[in-house]
Amino acid sequence: MIKVMNLVKDFTQKDGSVYKAVNDASFDAQDGEIVCLLGVNGAGKTTMMRILSTIFSPTSGTAEINGYDLRKDPSKVRENLGFLSGDTGLYNRLRSREFITYFGELYGVPRDVIKQRIKEMSQLLDMEDLLEKKIEFLSSGMKQKVSIVRSIIHDPQVMIFDEPTSGLDILTARNIVSFIRDCKQRNKCVLFSTHIMREAERLADRIVLIHKGKILANGSLESLRTQTGQTDLDDIFVHYVNHSTDEKEVLANEF
Amino acid sequence: MSFSKSLVVYRKEMMELFRDKRTIFSSILLPIILYPVLFIGLTSLMSRQTKVIEKEGATIAIVDSVQNDVSALILKNLMTINNFQFMPYTPESDKLYEDKDVQGILSITDSLTIDQFAVYKVNLQFDKSSDQGEMLFRKIQNNVDSTRTILQEESLQKVQISPMILKILDIIQFDTSSSQKKMGKMMGSILPYLLVMTLLSGAMAVASDLVAGEKERKTLETLLVCSVHRNEIVIGKYMAIITFALINVFVNLISLYFSISYTFSRSGMELAGISFPINSMLLILAAFVPLAMLVSAILLSLSTFSRNMKEFGSYGGPLMMVSMMLAMVSFLPGVELSNAMALIPVINIALLFKAVMIDEYTITHFLITVGSTLLLSFAAIWASIRIFNSESVLFRGDDESSLKNVKKDKRNLFNPYYGMVYMVLALVALYYLGSAMQTKDLSRGLVNTQLLIILLPVLLVLRIFKLKPKEILRLKAPKPVEMVLIPFIAIPAAMIVSSLAGLINQIYPFPPGYLEKMSSLFTMSDNTWIVLLIVAVLPGICEEILFRGFLMRFFEQYGTKLSVVIVAMLFAAFHLDPFRFIPVLLLGLLLGYLTVRSGSIINSMLSHTINNGFAVVVSTYGTSMWIKPLLMDSETIKPLVLIPAAAIFAVALYMFHKVTTPKET
Repeated sequence: MIKVMNLVKDFTQKDGSVYKAVNDASFDAQDGEIVCLLGVNGAGKTTMMRILSTIFSPTSGTAEINGYDLRKDPSKVRENLGFLSGDTGLYNRLRSREFITYFGELYGVPRDVIKQRIKEMSQLLDMEDLLEKKIEFLSSGMKQKVSIVRSIIHDPQVMIFDEPTSGLDILTARNIVSFIRDCKQRNKCVLFSTHIMREAERLADRIVLIHKGKILANGSLESLRTQTGQTDLDDIFVHYVNHSTDEKEVLANEF
Repeated sequence: MSFSKSLVVYRKEMMELFRDKRTIFSSILLPIILYPVLFIGLTSLMSRQTKVIEKEGATIAIVDSVQNDVSALILKNLMTINNFQFMPYTPESDKLYEDKDVQGILSITDSLTIDQFAVYKVNLQFDKSSDQGEMLFRKIQNNVDSTRTILQEESLQKVQISPMILKILDIIQFDTSSSQKKMGKMMGSILPYLLVMTLLSGAMAVASDLVAGEKERKTLETLLVCSVHRNEIVIGKYMAIITFALINVFVNLISLYFSISYTFSRSGMELAGISFPINSMLLILAAFVPLAMLVSAILLSLSTFSRNMKEFGSYGGPLMMVSMMLAMVSFLPGVELSNAMALIPVINIALLFKAVMIDEYTITHFLITVGSTLLLSFAAIWASIRIFNSESVLFRGDDESSLKNVKKDKRNLFNPYYGMVYMVLALVALYYLGSAMQTKDLSRGLVNTQLLIILLPVLLVLRIFKLKPKEILRLKAPKPVEMVLIPFIAIPAAMIVSSLAGLINQIYPFPPGYLEKMSSLFTMSDNTWIVLLIVAVLPGICEEILFRGFLMRFFEQYGTKLSVVIVAMLFAAFHLDPFRFIPVLLLGLLLGYLTVRSGSIINSMLSHTINNGFAVVVSTYGTSMWIKPLLMDSETIKPLVLIPAAAIFAVALYMFHKVTTPKET
């Protein structure tokens, strides 16, 4: 499970002023649950995902991944975490099998286990014939399959997807979506970020709305509907943004 | 941290690099092909070309204005030159010469010496810049030489003196240098330069790919979320760069060695008995390992800092230039490795290489070279680890942080871009107007440069933009205690900086006339007060207003420290003098510090004036009694004086730092 507690991330800008990319955010995600971090571009989703995957360290506050604190125990956090994003690149000069094996070794998975997992997953994803091909010759859909296997080679309990379908064609995006559902079936804890309302509607058990680094709302689609009196997620989103105090201040300043 | 994960990273990087055709080509295949083609191809082409030219021969128009048996003999001998055709000179010959149908015009003249002795001259008109012209001159010179010998012998025999008298004095060479030394001397100057360059270019291609490339291809993030420590990644990648750099050096060395040996044996040079002793080869390799480590670490830092491979390329260029200049020291005659030189990276390896090749190195120099380079490379590795662990650098200019552009406040005058534009304009004005004014009349030119090029534009800009000069330029009276400390900072600093200039002179000797030109500044007037006013006081005020006062404001958004550094660099560049770049840079750093620390430009003006004044005083009174004990010769300060000077400097600077620390209230 994921537990985010009062997370803050400041970026100091060139002129010395501080920009709060994540501002006192708290939420959680349970095992067997799909939670969607929904927000427009620049809302702080990627920063949040990068903190949770230990790429960034938080300015204050912390989070737990599968019970491990990411400040105190970042290496344990990484071991328990699978990370996949829509625009990740791959090492083109490696073969698919080499690529997956490389990451398996970095995670410290024994060689025979890596072999076994590659075999299982490639059957499941119907990609056995891709394994010996060089990645540069693969289509984007094939590459995404390789990335999927890469992200779960160490069998993590928590999966984080950062805009997993951005830039992908429909068929490839469907693969990802079904993979996310599959994770839930196997009782994994899934957190994915998106700016596409429809994707959140379709997949998420719970939606966490983020805007300008702040969490505006947190609940199932149903509960958000009753709270706002809106049915469409787009309208729900606008409702929350308009009612956030922060936004009013900004508007007041602008006029 | 576990080394085994670094090995996993290393193995994968090596596998990828070996699969990259570009890398393999540029760092392994290219050197293998390059040197044989360069040496063997070029030399055989050259010798073939020479033969072609000789076969072509030449046509020469002849004027014999002497017409006696001597000139007849000269002409007779000339006719024996193969492939040469001779024709009598006619008025058309000049036209033919211009059209290059005739390649030479030769005339024989004679004259009488004071003691009534007839001497002859063969006058040859030809085009020396053409290959054919040069061949023509060589052939005719040899031919005339042999004719001269015949004539000399004939004349001597006439007066019954043995022709052996011509050989009454001769010089015979006994060369004690071994053939290894001869070759070493030749190879010792080009090889280190070539090796440093190939080491850099090989490592650069790899380093660019390993981090900047990963950023560009968006694979870095995936690597960072793995359960592998960042230090392990850095070490793994670092080892890959070193490996490739060393492979590169090794391949280069071997390829170069074989090409040169082959060329020598072909050109008939005595090569038998010359063999590279294997231990000098190993010594060179051993010295190159630390350099490879240093270069790799610096490149890794740059690659980590760069957002993409293109940006890396733009940092690599200057690095290459600097290394080139350092490595070129091996070309300079007379520069030899000393303990001090052995501390300077690249230069030390180049000179050590040269010394090893002629078998005249000392083990101390070797150890200092290797040790200092190793120390530097450890510092560089530490820096690249630090950079790799800094998220603001690793993800510089990424998504979220670029959002700030949206709410950027309106552009004001003081941004770095305008600062650079101003600087370029000032440089252009200085280069064209300033030097023109100074060649006309040195002292008036200097005054005009300071007032019209340096000071006036600043005041105009401030006026146009309605800015308060007092506030912008920090024209504020300093505390009396600061003013008291300034001489104790500025005088020792001037001593240290001028000794540094002396050291640079040792490495890169000043061009001839340089020092004379410098001292002409100090002797332009007999009145020392006027010299002090023009060379010390005026620049102290005007240049400080431009640099520490005005230009520093443009770079303040980078933070105080960086803006001091940038302005110091511009200050050094402004002097348009590569030999003084580093001393002036250091001075600029000090002046910037003084200004920023105290918030008053008066301190740096005073310091600048004292610094320049110091040079005037030394060159004017260098020979008088009171200053003489401090100096070695009329310009150089005794090294022993520098120790107390440095101590005074340190104490005064520390006190300055203390008195300028804001009191907590």
